Amino acid sequence: MPDTTEAPRPMTRPAPQPAAQAPASASRPVRFRGGGFVAEPRRWAALLAFVIAIAAWEASGRLRLVSPLFLPPPSAILLALQGLVADGSLARNLAASLMRIGVGWTLGTAAGVLVGFAMGIWSIARAIGLPAVSALFPIPKIALLPLFILWLGIGEASKFATIGLGVFFPTVIATYSAVDGVPRNLIRMGQSFNMPWLDVLRKVVLPGAMPGILAGFRISASIALILVVSAEMIGADYGIGAFVLNAGNLMLTDQLLAGVLVLSLLGLAIGTALSLLEKTLLKWR
Amino acid sequence: MNPRTRQFYGALGVGRRAVLALALGLGALSALPAPASAQGEKVTVAVLPLSSSAPIFIAHKRGYFSQEGLNAELRSFSAAQQVPVAVTSGDADFGITGLTAGFYNLAAKGTVKIVAAQSREEPGYQLSAYLATKAAYDAGFTTPAQFKGKRVATTTAGSTFHYMFGLLAEKYGFSTKDIQMVPLQDVPKMVAAFKGGQVEGMIAPVTVARQLEAEGSARILGWVGDVTPWQLGALFTSPETIRTRRATVEKFVRAYQRGAADYNNAFNVKDTTGQPGKGPGYDELLAIIAEATKQKPELVAVSLPFIDPQGRLLVDDVVRQTKFWQAEGQVDKALDPLSTVDLSFVNGHLLTQK
Amino acid sequence: MELFVRGLSHRYGDLLVLDSIDLDVREGEILVVIGPSGCGKSTLLGILGGIVPHGGEAVRIAGEPPPGCLNPVSFVFQDFSLLPWRSVEDNVGLVLEHQRMPTGERRERVEDCLRRMGLLEFRKALPKQLSGGMRQRVGIARALATRPAILLLDEPLSALDAQTRDLLMEDFLDLWKRDRTTAVYVTHNLNEALRLADRVVVLTRRPGRIRDIVKVGLPREDRAGAAGQAFLAEVHDRLWELIKAEARIADREIVDA
Ligand SMILES: Nc1ncnc2c1ncn2[C@@H]1O[C@H](COP(=O)(O)OP(=O)(O)OP(=O)(O)O)[C@@H](O)[C@H]1O
Ligand SMILES: [Mg+2]
Repeated sequence: MPDTTEAPRPMTRPAPQPAAQAPASASRPVRFRGGGFVAEPRRWAALLAFVIAIAAWEASGRLRLVSPLFLPPPSAILLALQGLVADGSLARNLAASLMRIGVGWTLGTAAGVLVGFAMGIWSIARAIGLPAVSALFPIPKIALLPLFILWLGIGEASKFATIGLGVFFPTVIATYSAVDGVPRNLIRMGQSFNMPWLDVLRKVVLPGAMPGILAGFRISASIALILVVSAEMIGADYGIGAFVLNAGNLMLTDQLLAGVLVLSLLGLAIGTALSLLEKTLLKWR
Repeated sequence: MNPRTRQFYGALGVGRRAVLALALGLGALSALPAPASAQGEKVTVAVLPLSSSAPIFIAHKRGYFSQEGLNAELRSFSAAQQVPVAVTSGDADFGITGLTAGFYNLAAKGTVKIVAAQSREEPGYQLSAYLATKAAYDAGFTTPAQFKGKRVATTTAGSTFHYMFGLLAEKYGFSTKDIQMVPLQDVPKMVAAFKGGQVEGMIAPVTVARQLEAEGSARILGWVGDVTPWQLGALFTSPETIRTRRATVEKFVRAYQRGAADYNNAFNVKDTTGQPGKGPGYDELLAIIAEATKQKPELVAVSLPFIDPQGRLLVDDVVRQTKFWQAEGQVDKALDPLSTVDLSFVNGHLLTQK
Repeated sequence: MELFVRGLSHRYGDLLVLDSIDLDVREGEILVVIGPSGCGKSTLLGILGGIVPHGGEAVRIAGEPPPGCLNPVSFVFQDFSLLPWRSVEDNVGLVLEHQRMPTGERRERVEDCLRRMGLLEFRKALPKQLSGGMRQRVGIARALATRPAILLLDEPLSALDAQTRDLLMEDFLDLWKRDRTTAVYVTHNLNEALRLADRVVVLTRRPGRIRDIVKVGLPREDRAGAAGQAFLAEVHDRLWELIKAEARIADREIVDA
């Protein structure tokens, strides 16, 4: 800076100006014009919308704008729910359904992951599996219920099969795509260091496919919840699905919605559990 | 309002009924063709395409509704449960179908009221059969009384099957708890469980029963009509309609009774040897029913139910039904059994013969 | 160890990529391979390292691996090829896990390699937390952990910025001086070639043939000085002429086609 090396000229030197001062009156401040288009967390907004929706729903019932038969107000649903808790039937129904979802989902998912892996690894398995999956996946499982009854009876086996088969195909597809999507260069890397086949599978392919497999779990868990209602069409005395079906048949709409509420809460709980699992397993992303 | 929001509100404006009907899983399958003269006061009737609703089809086709000054539109549904819901939601002015616990729960909410009879289980009429599997029969399960302690297939709790087992239990002095009822939602799944030997018996509609017997997988132990006659179905409307459009209901019931009378004249006749014969208009009415039910006339002819010629109800049975469901815990105890019916539209209602 | 290539041709389907390559990779030298994009450099390296399928016996390896060698021919990849779910030390350790060796020794070896690449304080870090230069250091550490006889490096620095590239190149040279591991080094960058190479193989456009092999006849330690720079400028110009000629023909071919 030449200013500092020159001798000061006290008379002509202008008063020191603060750096923030703009040089001329013609200048304008630069305005921020970015912003927006970014997802920012707004928890209160969701909560507020939720509260308003519930309040409006309750009010419409209280003010007799809508018949409580058609749309039971939240208070009636909670009352029905409370009744279920009080007489212990909620616990009994929930236990029955959770057992079916647990066993059915586990069986279907385990088989699906194995088949998906095989299809991702071996060309022969892929050549057989892809058309088979395309052909069998769209079959509505509910249409097969009479067959399940003939094959497996009306006990738990046919209920497990309904849920298991429902989650099997999406899991196959998710796992297959996940394995297929593992970067080839990582596999080549493993091979270039003489890693045995099984090690490549265990240490490279499996963790690499994990995000896709877990995303598949999210979908299959929801499908299991949907299918528990279908499964419990088969001679179920207890179960949230059986309860919902029964309430529907008897036109007890408050009970019906109470059961539906339990199902969605169950979905929420499972979703949260999966998010936690993802957080721990996929920390590296 | 920009066009987009208007469209949005327009979509909402489809109406609460349509939205709720959707929400309740209600789907009108098809509207049957309108009668020749589409004039007069419009009434909508919710029906199932079954021959138990024959008087409606006959009255419609033969113009009895239009002669009463009514322009009746029939809307066909796929499940019994949907019919009273359609009346409740206002999608139909009248409904006609079998009576279930679900119906009485709607009646308890004050949305439906019975005005006339539909079909009933009557001695000598083969509508519903008691069935045993071949294996159970061979093991000694040969009479309806032996349903005690058996495992049976039903559609759902609160269904007509459930009630028929209740009547059977009452008749033979045991309780419904002595029968292990397996809910399977619909008849195809019941048949699957029955064929697979998962249950020992069931009550089944005549066509299913005959087919299973012909296949050799079932034995017919008897007919519900012979063992426990009861009021299987009814014609109903909403209390609101009765209050505000009483004359319309009267006209409708009159036309319905004419249809019921025609039905009986044609089908409910015995020839000189006591065998079922053919009355006047037999072929024409059979064709009408076959068209409405989309079934072959031969099949319709062998599964025609008994329908009271004047639409008279077995009043004591209707009362008994309410009490039964209340005892089973399926229907609100506060429901007054007599509030479910309005007996003023049909003269000379009946009592079950003991 | 040494590699001998005799009459190597390679096709992908109908596409001839390499045509009659004859090449020796001699003990202790750094052989740099340059050539137009798509001429088959990576393919050549892949065949040398046995990860590109090639029937036939055009490539042979000779000599005894040095003591402690666990993988005679090891790669350093252009895209680093690190496992994103493993920490730095586990990425390096990965290539030792299937070898039969005591845990303590394995840990020592990993630590030693990390120290030599200046990675010790990042041992617990995940790849996503590292800069590109650091990631390639992990890639090099991993290759070194197997004590290879021959290193195959496929454009190891091309994903990095110019400064990082120069720094890492010097570090690599320092490291190399200790073991003088035989190396085949593919690059597009003439400066890298001149700084590192004993010999530079210039490939033609696809199908890749050997256009010329240029010897950089100056010891590496003399290349930094002014005299060295002048000498290298000559070699640079010669290489540049060769590449330019190939690139021109390739361009014309593209226009014609
Ligand atoms: N697996 C493969 N299947 C078919 N063709 C391939 C395959 N791998 C490479 N090729 C083709 O072979 C040619 C040579 O590829 P290669 O990657 O060996 O070139 P390169 O010299 O390394 O190029 P670059 O300088 O861009 O890295 C290219 O035209 C490429 O498209
Ligand atoms: Mg390349």
